[in-house]
Amino acid sequence: MIEFRDVSYSVNGIQVLGGLNLRVAHGEILVLLGRSGSGKTTTLKLVNRLVSPTSGQVLVNGKANDQVDVIQLRRDIGYVIQEAGLFPHFTVERNIGLVPKIEGWPEERIRARVQEMLQLVGLSADLASRYPHQLSGGQRQRVGVARALAADPAILLMDEPFGALDPLTRDELQREFLLLQQRVHKTVVFVTHDLREALRLASRIALMEAGKLVTVLTPAEFLTSSDPWASAYVRAFGDGLESAANRGTS
Amino acid sequence: MNLLRFFVQNHTQVLELTGEHLWLVGWSTVFAMLIGIPLGILIAHRTQLGRPVLATANIIQTIPSLALFGFLLPVPWLGDRAERLAILALTLYALLPIIRNTYDGIRGVDTTVVEAGRGMGLTESQLLFQVELPLALSVIISGVRIAVVISVGLATIAAAIGAGGLGEFIFRGLAMVDNRVILAGAIPAAVLALLADFGIGRIEKRLRPR
Amino acid sequence: MIRLRASLGFLVVCSVALLSCSSSHSDRIVVGSKNFTESFILGELIAQQIESHTSLKVERRFYLAGTYICQQAMLAGRIDIYPEYTGTALTAILKQGISRDKQDVYQRVKSEYERRLGLTLGPAFGFNDTFAMEIRGEDARRLNVRTLSQAARFTPQWHAGFGYEFMERPDGYRGLVATYGLHFAEQPRIMDLGLLARALKDRRIDFAGGNATDGLIPALDLVALEDDRHYFPPYEAVPVIRQQTLQLYPEIARVLADLGGKISNVEMQKMNYAVDAQHRDTQDVVREFLKSKGLVP
Repeated sequence: MIEFRDVSYSVNGIQVLGGLNLRVAHGEILVLLGRSGSGKTTTLKLVNRLVSPTSGQVLVNGKANDQVDVIQLRRDIGYVIQEAGLFPHFTVERNIGLVPKIEGWPEERIRARVQEMLQLVGLSADLASRYPHQLSGGQRQRVGVARALAADPAILLMDEPFGALDPLTRDELQREFLLLQQRVHKTVVFVTHDLREALRLASRIALMEAGKLVTVLTPAEFLTSSDPWASAYVRAFGDGLESAANRGTS
Repeated sequence: MNLLRFFVQNHTQVLELTGEHLWLVGWSTVFAMLIGIPLGILIAHRTQLGRPVLATANIIQTIPSLALFGFLLPVPWLGDRAERLAILALTLYALLPIIRNTYDGIRGVDTTVVEAGRGMGLTESQLLFQVELPLALSVIISGVRIAVVISVGLATIAAAIGAGGLGEFIFRGLAMVDNRVILAGAIPAAVLALLADFGIGRIEKRLRPR
Repeated sequence: MIRLRASLGFLVVCSVALLSCSSSHSDRIVVGSKNFTESFILGELIAQQIESHTSLKVERRFYLAGTYICQQAMLAGRIDIYPEYTGTALTAILKQGISRDKQDVYQRVKSEYERRLGLTLGPAFGFNDTFAMEIRGEDARRLNVRTLSQAARFTPQWHAGFGYEFMERPDGYRGLVATYGLHFAEQPRIMDLGLLARALKDRRIDFAGGNATDGLIPALDLVALEDDRHYFPPYEAVPVIRQQTLQLYPEIARVLADLGGKISNVEMQKMNYAVDAQHRDTQDVVREFLKSKGLVP
């Protein structure tokens, strides 16, 4: 579904990403885990070409993503960022309906779709006419997800989407996201620095450090891995990780 | 009251000169917006151009207005009609606030919002018209407000070179040594400036993003 | 987005409203004048004539600061008519070289104005506000001197005074002396224009360079010597009017024709004096004059 072939990225003579080889399978949630500066966000942005590789290729659905129209590429990929990046001057409805609108969907279909998305992310229908500043952080983030899913893209890119939320809300949203994925089956690339979140959500975890891919492991493998970086992470996060790895119901 | 009676007796002339004044201010502001807003958008997206453009506008701003009118007088076509000259000069003076505020407004738009839009597949022009401009609009309008207030003041000086407007009352009053005539120009000019400041300020407030 | 469109719409409407505020006036004639006494006496003259002989309303826009300002106001249609001098129109506005012939200057100005600027001239008012060389009345009578040629003989006994500009201009003092062969006792004194007449009267100078229509000439019993060799260029006072205005209101042509040739140098001097030195109201002075000429019932 998504493939990185020998991808490197440098800016101003500094190498941010080096020799990345990675495959994301259809329907999986691949979590990019690493600390700040590890290159995980850059990797994410290479998929929808917000960033272009200095060398190497990024393939989406078998085609090199610099060979296709970048606008269409992006409209076919859902993009969720921290703090949701909602347009403050649009209502919730207009925010969610944005991509369908620019894709030329008829009004009726857009309206119906918005309602569908609100339901999907667990928001009440009467929020449609509200503005982002009138919503709580958790509500905003849900709208962000709804917006990303509105045009029914096959791929979802998520950059620390739950990072700015309080632990309770974060837990809630993580749980709901898993349920959502069971319904929609998207291919998801998810960036986080939180091991607990990674263990909970990932099909596989791609651990990154200093621009290099260190290892790719399932959550279970990660906990017992002897890789120095992986074990450093496990140690840093302390106890109770097993339950997270088991799609924790905590 | 003497002054009030003067206004009533000469109300047609006051209205006429006010109309001339608004003509000068109106056209120059429109031109300054047509040039300044696109220019401001350009330099907001290409910051290397920012410094020379803003520096140029700044230099224009520092030229004393009467001197600029004087420079332009011998220019063919422009110098033939005082209104043309005045409108050009007023346009030049209105550029800096408009360019600067457009630049600041667009640069002040939350970059995460813009990047989210870009990531979702908005074209650059869709980003500009649906995201950046609406969010920057309040600041841009603020620049227009400043430009208009400056223009109303400068347009009074334009009468010195024959462009008409409320400044003519002021200069005539000085020659006649008649305060009523001076005030017949000065008061409406001040009122215009205040109205513009207040009126456009209201629009600004309503456009401010929440 | 609706807010954006509504605001833009509002701004467009305002702009259109502003931009249609150009200067157009109907059934009103705007009379302009420059910012010195003689000019607004003439302006007032034109205004009162139009008021009493036509049904048009007249608006006065006097004290405009100079030839360029008046010219611009005419071209822009902000004023319809104002008094100008043929010599000034030829040199300052049309930027051509001046000739000495009164008729020639008038015709050249008129035809150029009509051809290029959409303006035209009414008939001249009748006086020539050019430079005037003045001597005391008693000297003029005693020596039986009326022209500059006649006066040349006596110049070695006289002290002269002139304004700064006249001394500097190539077509001022130097040309005068060359044309008439004047030889003054010593270098002329440079004085403020306003003080020359007084100085002449008080015998501090004997020969002064002033204006032909200076009000102090009759008041102080001074005599303006005739420029028999036509050294000084003609500055005939004329009404300048927009051709468009004449087309709209042809009755004005008759009004201006009635004023043609009605003011002599002496009469202009007297009116200037009444306003400047006697501080009489301009409107009264003009009304009196028009009555005396039978131009108003």
